[in-house]
Amino acid sequence: MSVTVLKTGLQTTVQAGPRIGLRHMGVQASGAADPLSMALANKLVGNAWDGASLEATLVGPTLRFDVDCAFAVTGAYAAVTLNSEEQPQHETLFAAAGDELAIGAMQTGARAYIAFAGAIAAPGILGSVSTNLQAGFGGHQGRALQSGDVLVLAPREQSALRTPDEFQVPMSSSWAVHACDTAETSLLDDASEVALFETNWVIDQRADRVGLRLDGPRLTVSSDGRMPSAGVIPGTIQCPEDGSPYALAVDCGTVGGYPRIAQIARADRHVLGQLRPGDHLRLLRRDAGHAVALLEAKIDYWRAWLPEIASILR
Amino acid sequence: MESTFVLTRCGDDLFCIAVDTPQDAQSLAAALSEAGNWLEVVPGIASVVVRFDALAHDDEDARQKIAAVIEGGIDRRDTAAELLEIPVVYGGEYGPDLEALAEATGLPADELIARHTRDEYSVDMVGFTPGFAFVGGLDACFQVPRRAEPRPRVAAGSVGIADRRTGLYAMASPGGWNIIGRTPHTLFDPDAADPFALKAGMRVRFRAVAADAFDV
Repeated sequence: MSVTVLKTGLQTTVQAGPRIGLRHMGVQASGAADPLSMALANKLVGNAWDGASLEATLVGPTLRFDVDCAFAVTGAYAAVTLNSEEQPQHETLFAAAGDELAIGAMQTGARAYIAFAGAIAAPGILGSVSTNLQAGFGGHQGRALQSGDVLVLAPREQSALRTPDEFQVPMSSSWAVHACDTAETSLLDDASEVALFETNWVIDQRADRVGLRLDGPRLTVSSDGRMPSAGVIPGTIQCPEDGSPYALAVDCGTVGGYPRIAQIARADRHVLGQLRPGDHLRLLRRDAGHAVALLEAKIDYWRAWLPEIASILR
Repeated sequence: MESTFVLTRCGDDLFCIAVDTPQDAQSLAAALSEAGNWLEVVPGIASVVVRFDALAHDDEDARQKIAAVIEGGIDRRDTAAELLEIPVVYGGEYGPDLEALAEATGLPADELIARHTRDEYSVDMVGFTPGFAFVGGLDACFQVPRRAEPRPRVAAGSVGIADRRTGLYAMASPGGWNIIGRTPHTLFDPDAADPFALKAGMRVRFRAVAADAFDV
């Protein structure tokens, strides 16, 4: 009972929920870069939101089923074919043993998620099944998939579902996220503080699961270049010496030595997983109380389709 | 005790507390962990970052709970913390930057090894990657910057020097510290019951061993 990787795509990993509570030991979050899209895929195949799934990046993989299995594809827009026949995203799909599933290049958004009924079987390590690419553990042998890899499935019966239209997250090439001031925002000079929140930033080529460099005006921070290393989390925006803000993502290290100039609101961090080079990003400045209210509103909206939404956005 | 700790809200789910020393950070982190149910409590070199669940905690309650711990004062960690002796093969293929460090400091390699193994140190911080330990308190001769060009891959167990700290690479990773040796001791094993050999606040001492330590 398995699925075999025929082509890997650009970077395909096994991801589930994040590792929480071990950052003081240096353990990164890992997990789906866009947990909302992964949860939507798992919903369509009857899994818990964090059932181990495949995260495909920019170019998707080609897989061959060795067993009958229901699956679903969500996230970035890409052509999905089963034995060369085009298939929709956001619907439960049914593969028979021998069928080939191909996910093409992402047209809009950066990451697509493929969930399988019963989820991918993999052992939990330090609280999650997710691949930690930097430390080389979790997921499938602690690394991105290679052709020839065989993933064990545990398929079970599944009825057909479709994500209601109002819950199909629209992809875009122009995004906005809410962000708050943080520990070292006050180190920005006045012009840079304005620029941080007024610029339509462009996502640089340097964009991956660790972080995304934002291209635009160079910012000036009045630090002497030597910050004592301090805790950071996904969604922290740092400003290194070169003046280009760097938004940390799910695989970021647990501490950093650059000024922390903004913190993306918890409600919006899932967006980081869909930003691709060339996309535009605006940071909408809000105070912490407003960011909590946004989170509560988002949770109220999503609860009807994803009852686990509070955990998904944790 | 007069406290100079400064508490800052850092977004909807973070507080950051600025402190003076790594020991303050560790003691405060321990006290905070006991006082509340947080998602993360991360001691840094001169700070503690607390991540909380704003859906489960009223944020004003969370702030007051943290403020109460700060105002209550912290116990400095007892100095009888666990001592770990770390065997190190210095120089050669395991410590490719030892000679350059000798040249930069004007001290012979043997003298650098003698000074590195002479004192007892404490782990100032664990982080960035799993189990990576920042060990403080080195002799002033080790005041050297990181390498201008970081290496794409530094082996697990590597012992690096920068800014009067020893950095212990618990796993292979890119890195810019000046590598003077390597330990055969396993520093991070995700499958072990306790994956982390080093914890913040732990005392360590380095011991020079011969290269055949890696053959065992």
